Amino acid sequence: MAVPTGAATAPSPRPPRKRGGRRRTLLPVVAALAVLGPLGWMWQASLLPDSYSVMDMGYRDEGRNQGSGAVPAQGHEGHHGPAARSVATLTEPSTAPADVRVDLTARKEPFRLASGQMVEGYTLNGSSPGPVITAEQGQLVEVRLVNESVPDGVTLHWHGVDVPNAVDGVAGVTQDAVPVGGEHVYRFRADQRGSYWYHSHQVSHEQVQRGLLGALVVTPPGGLPGTTVDELALVHIYDGVRTVNGRPGETRVDAAPGTRVRVRVVNTDNGPMPVWVSGAAFRVVAVDGTDVREPGEVRDLSVEVTGGARADLEVEVPAGQAARVELGGAALLLGQGDPPRSVRPTGKLDMLTYGTPAALGFDPSAADRSFEYVIGRAPGFLDGWPGLWWTVNGHMYPDVPMFVVADGDVVRMRVENRSGESHPMHLHGHHAVVLARDGVPATGSPWWVDSLEVGDGESYDIAFVADNPGIWMDHCHNLPHAAEGLVAHLMYEGVTVPYRVGGVNEPE
Amino acid sequence: MRSVYRVLAYLVALEVVIQAAAVAFAVSGLTNWIENGGVLDAAVMQSETIAFNGVIGFIVHGLNGQIIVPLIALLLLISSFFAKIPGGVLWAGLVFLTVVVQVFLGMFAGGIPELGILHGIGALALFAFAVVAARRAEAATSGLEPRASRGTADVA
Repeated sequence: MAVPTGAATAPSPRPPRKRGGRRRTLLPVVAALAVLGPLGWMWQASLLPDSYSVMDMGYRDEGRNQGSGAVPAQGHEGHHGPAARSVATLTEPSTAPADVRVDLTARKEPFRLASGQMVEGYTLNGSSPGPVITAEQGQLVEVRLVNESVPDGVTLHWHGVDVPNAVDGVAGVTQDAVPVGGEHVYRFRADQRGSYWYHSHQVSHEQVQRGLLGALVVTPPGGLPGTTVDELALVHIYDGVRTVNGRPGETRVDAAPGTRVRVRVVNTDNGPMPVWVSGAAFRVVAVDGTDVREPGEVRDLSVEVTGGARADLEVEVPAGQAARVELGGAALLLGQGDPPRSVRPTGKLDMLTYGTPAALGFDPSAADRSFEYVIGRAPGFLDGWPGLWWTVNGHMYPDVPMFVVADGDVVRMRVENRSGESHPMHLHGHHAVVLARDGVPATGSPWWVDSLEVGDGESYDIAFVADNPGIWMDHCHNLPHAAEGLVAHLMYEGVTVPYRVGGVNEPE
Repeated sequence: MRSVYRVLAYLVALEVVIQAAAVAFAVSGLTNWIENGGVLDAAVMQSETIAFNGVIGFIVHGLNGQIIVPLIALLLLISSFFAKIPGGVLWAGLVFLTVVVQVFLGMFAGGIPELGILHGIGALALFAFAVVAARRAEAATSGLEPRASRGTADVA
């Protein structure tokens, strides 16, 4: 190519080349278009409309026989016309006065952790975490949420409680976000005892992290039986500092040796947290609000509590030293004295084999619907942003499946993760039982979950009864992942949604 | 267009240097944070709120690697179609391809740590390809210039 022509010939090379000149200028343009064209088209196709109904999103998956049930979702709202029900009508039937009544006021304001550190965030009734809501099993709970100053609007989702759909608290799906100056009332019956939490489901990846959350504890009527001490350990990370019930570091629980303490561990963060106990054995007596049947004594193992999940640990306070419930740097000390810390045991308690089996109350082998929820990752655009985004069954948001069920269906779902990262999968409005992991059947106490850690490369077979009509999110509770499109929905036939995502509503 | 090509190619090489420095800074900072009592588990890591001296390194590495470097590599590839540098398209294509591979290796190394080894090696390959591409542009440019005007060779 280097032609030693010298300065004199410099102006002349052009005329002889004229013939190929057009091709020479055209070729690079064509090549550039060949690269940019598809990119531009993909970019354009990924842009989300200003607002949309989740019912028009993606494609319908009836789950009747694998693969062939996929039909575009467009305009399928009226297909099951006779029984059409709006989400807004799916409320608690009783109009009786509530047994537990709570007013929660949401504000955008800085608050101080017990360590003195200031956090720029949000509060409920002036603090974060918000007040602990306690109810006895069977009581009617009524919570009035007032938004005083959260600019993006707020909602409250009752994580793990199978509430009526109208009060599930998902902005744009089951309600409109409550604007500044607005209010919203949530009414539901607390008929499942256990440990739960509540949090905003509007711009949740930011609002939950910055403080719009609190615990909900449903005890048996009259409280825990006997002399068991009921202790909450709601774990949340504020600006990188792990706190237990809003306090960093160690928190002491005064309890005499021999006392049994039920520690309700609630993980309100985005990833799994290992929990273990130094200085005493323990039992895992409940997971995600369901009691474990005949839980055995656990030593030298940690329990993984994933994002959004709960585990109730029962510890007997030892004579002499206190027991130390290790919560990833923070800790709960049960009893007197300073027990030594211990490093995390290498082994992990496997809930697949823990406890003893019991009847499920339904037959998963006679499933009316079977779905696949395969999580992957692929390069592309999400609302115009390039990246490696999550996929559900090979499709990128918003082209995700709408799992369709009918009232009373027995539903099986295979959740498989091939995405390179782990995901705490959370199904709203239902508890599902784990049937198998990686094809290995569950042999322990029925393992009912609402928040299930699905590690990279793992697959879980789960089943549930469709007994709570509505439209329910089925998403990753690593909330930034949900904002990156790891969201699908479960829909009951004939249910309609009057709300729209976009505009004021941004659930993730 | 040759200057554009040359500048973009050197930018890719510079980005590799920044990426290496950023991630090393972050890992050192993380080690220091843990040595001083910080506890890291998946929940803390995924809260994306941990603050230690050096955490900016992870942010820079992620942002650079997933958005800025691919963008520069894409522009380099497009400029190569117009720059008429011998082997220019080939080297720009190699740079682009290596960037794509690097992005995937980086994203999936969390699940398969061994991919991190390839990611580190890939970075050096990318640096080499980018420098070769830039030198090609220089050679092509200076080749057309008379010897006397060597000093102004990059005004093409």
